[in-house]
Amino acid sequence: MALTIKKQLSSPGGVLKFLVKYNTIFIFILLVIFSALISDVFFTSTNLSNLLKQVSGIGIISIGMLIVILTGGIDLSVGSMVALLAVTFAILVNIIVLPLAILITLSIGFALGSVSGYLVAYQKMAPFVATLALMTIARGLGFIYSKGSPITFKTPGGEFMSNFANNSTLGIPNIALVFFLIVILVMVMLRYNVFGRLIIAIGSNEEASRLSGIKVNKYKFLVYAISGALAATAAIIVASRTNLGSPNMGMAWELDAIAAVVIGGASLNGGKGTAINTLMGVLILGLIGNILNLLNVPSYPQQVVKGAIIIFAVLLQRFERK
Amino acid sequence: MKNSESEYRVEMTGISKSFGVVSVLDGVDFKVKHGEIHALLGENGAGKSTLVKILSGVHQKDTGKIVLNGEEINPKNTHEGQVLGISVVYQELSLVNDLSVAENIYLHKLGASKFWMNWKEITKNAQELIDSLGFKIDASATVRDLSIVQKQVVEIAKALSEDTKVLVLDEPTTVFDPTDTQKLFENLFKLKEKGISIIYISHHLEEIIKIADSVTVLRDGVDTGSMAVSETDTDGIIHLMIGRELKDLYPTRNVEIGKEPIFEVKNLTAKDTLVHDVSFSVRPGEVLGIAGLGGSGRTETAKLIFGADKKKSGTILLNGKEINTNTPVSAVGHQIGFVSEDRKEEGVFLPLSIRRNISVTSFDSISNKCGFINVNNEYKNVLGLIEKLNVKTPSSEIDVKNLSGGNQQKVALAKWLSIDSKVIIIDEPTRGVDVGAKIEIYNLINEVAKKGVGVVVISSDMPEIMGIADRILVMHEGTFYGELPKEKFSEENILRYSIGEPLK
Repeated sequence: MALTIKKQLSSPGGVLKFLVKYNTIFIFILLVIFSALISDVFFTSTNLSNLLKQVSGIGIISIGMLIVILTGGIDLSVGSMVALLAVTFAILVNIIVLPLAILITLSIGFALGSVSGYLVAYQKMAPFVATLALMTIARGLGFIYSKGSPITFKTPGGEFMSNFANNSTLGIPNIALVFFLIVILVMVMLRYNVFGRLIIAIGSNEEASRLSGIKVNKYKFLVYAISGALAATAAIIVASRTNLGSPNMGMAWELDAIAAVVIGGASLNGGKGTAINTLMGVLILGLIGNILNLLNVPSYPQQVVKGAIIIFAVLLQRFERK
Repeated sequence: MKNSESEYRVEMTGISKSFGVVSVLDGVDFKVKHGEIHALLGENGAGKSTLVKILSGVHQKDTGKIVLNGEEINPKNTHEGQVLGISVVYQELSLVNDLSVAENIYLHKLGASKFWMNWKEITKNAQELIDSLGFKIDASATVRDLSIVQKQVVEIAKALSEDTKVLVLDEPTTVFDPTDTQKLFENLFKLKEKGISIIYISHHLEEIIKIADSVTVLRDGVDTGSMAVSETDTDGIIHLMIGRELKDLYPTRNVEIGKEPIFEVKNLTAKDTLVHDVSFSVRPGEVLGIAGLGGSGRTETAKLIFGADKKKSGTILLNGKEINTNTPVSAVGHQIGFVSEDRKEEGVFLPLSIRRNISVTSFDSISNKCGFINVNNEYKNVLGLIEKLNVKTPSSEIDVKNLSGGNQQKVALAKWLSIDSKVIIIDEPTRGVDVGAKIEIYNLINEVAKKGVGVVVISSDMPEIMGIADRILVMHEGTFYGELPKEKFSEENILRYSIGEPLK
């Protein structure tokens, strides 16, 4: 009996069912084929590695956004956090040794995320409001500490980071490797770790979670803290790539991150979404920008196309539910 | 049959209705005369609410015919029903908390015809309407600030604000004390004299005998006939309602009940609810029933014990040792389980698979120190429970939202069986569950008790609680009013304690 139940899991569905179920990957593949047909430059290693470098920063904060969204929350502060933490890192790397600079930046990210987490989990503030406040605070602090202008790396430590961020290993940009590593970590965590299971449970029914004896507040607190630490990771990467930290970095990245998570099929009500699909969402958004750039489409029409793709992707997901 | 056409105001004939594969009504005939109070009776889940919802336009019938005043009608929504003169006061209140009493009463008229509202007049009319009912409520008060009894009165006033021809009352007196109930009855008699037909749904047989002219009994979606109340008595009605021997539905128990209590609650008082000075004990293997009217504090008591509501004072002992259950986390830590009455909102995770639902309490036993889950152990645990509880599903990966109510309830229970709970509190174990699954759940409760678990069952279904409990505690206004040993089980005794009366 037990075995028969388990076996039935793998019963195959139709091709259409498959396409609808994996619609994010399907859209991604379609876009790749389309891009390859339309532009000779697309499949060059320079272009592809540029594409990966461009999406890595947003990609990392999108993974943080996914974890928050899985609990039914949202984190609007991540874009501003990238700016503040990039500035912080640039300042730190010029005055202390590199490992310490990295460690402190990550800790500040975690701490700032914890503030949102505390407000949401323990003060019952609406996630939208709490993180909106953190968003303007972080952006403001970024400008204060940088005095409004970019801070360039001046030390060997900064040079090391800059080299790391602009080089590749086995043909894949190092910063993309960092992004992929985070995707894999979170994927494993969501699937095989209690932490992942519980945040999904909380997102799908918070009251039932509470009445099942789950420490709901603790986990809600933690997801924002982790999102903050991931924003710090993104900040270090982005700053290293450009060799400077600027308070103007990460403008509206929180919106791109939300878009990527949504294109990846996650529900803003929580409880539904995977890391691999969020990765696809990030790549789809990046691809659209990339191909439109190759076609010399100016940036305003690009925004229109981006919006249209979001609508299309979410409409496609509605079939899945039926 | 010319005669009958003028005699009846409402004639529902051959009404059938299914939700998915579940047949709720099957060829029901239901006829109500002009100016009579017609009681509609039946056990929980017999189809009473569905029948009136079809009449009022909430649901659409699958087959059958509805005739009102000699004309066939097919209300497609409640608005159409209201226009036809059918008003319903539902069991669950449907008021807008942030609006005033007057606004609520005339909600259906707001914005309907005129651009400007005459607030003064609306408030005045509403006040007159409420005064005419004999209750003291300020029509300009915000509904949020009213007591539950006052809210119920507003509901009734709202139903009467229309040109009502048929008034349906679904369990209107559950929150009323005897004086308020008497007032309501006087109002109903007045309405009856005006020629309004009243359909009255209730579990309180004594009320029915007192006020109704005729009675129709539904059982498992079939009507078992109508008769004049003058031609029958409580026994006759009960016979029609139950229609089968109680022992068919409730399995015989053959459990040895331990001597020392496994779980004791002493003088528990809530911080934010009406529950106060609650004391009881459960012995291993015992099924303790908690009865009482809606609003008497049964669910609140369960939530208080489980740490979901805040405590003010009192102690809880497990195996003679005092424990702290200030949060559900600590209650679960002491292996106390709680199955909520609100399955969909608080009991299960609808969008998640059966496996994820069941595992949610048992990660300690299926994961290592770093929190990584041993998937093989997880499957073993989950599939074992699915088989044991006879959850009808093709696989453990089916989302719980796709299961029937009974199977969902089994999943909610499985969660607590997977951690070997010592005490399980089950609030309304079979609400919205079909008869077949009911029996399975009763068997399950027995089996759990047999293992030495202390089981506390809260139920508003009187035959059910008498059928499965060893002992019944009856709540009244936030505390236990009386205890009934098995020999004294009867609907009347439970009811007497529920309303704060001594036994006869």
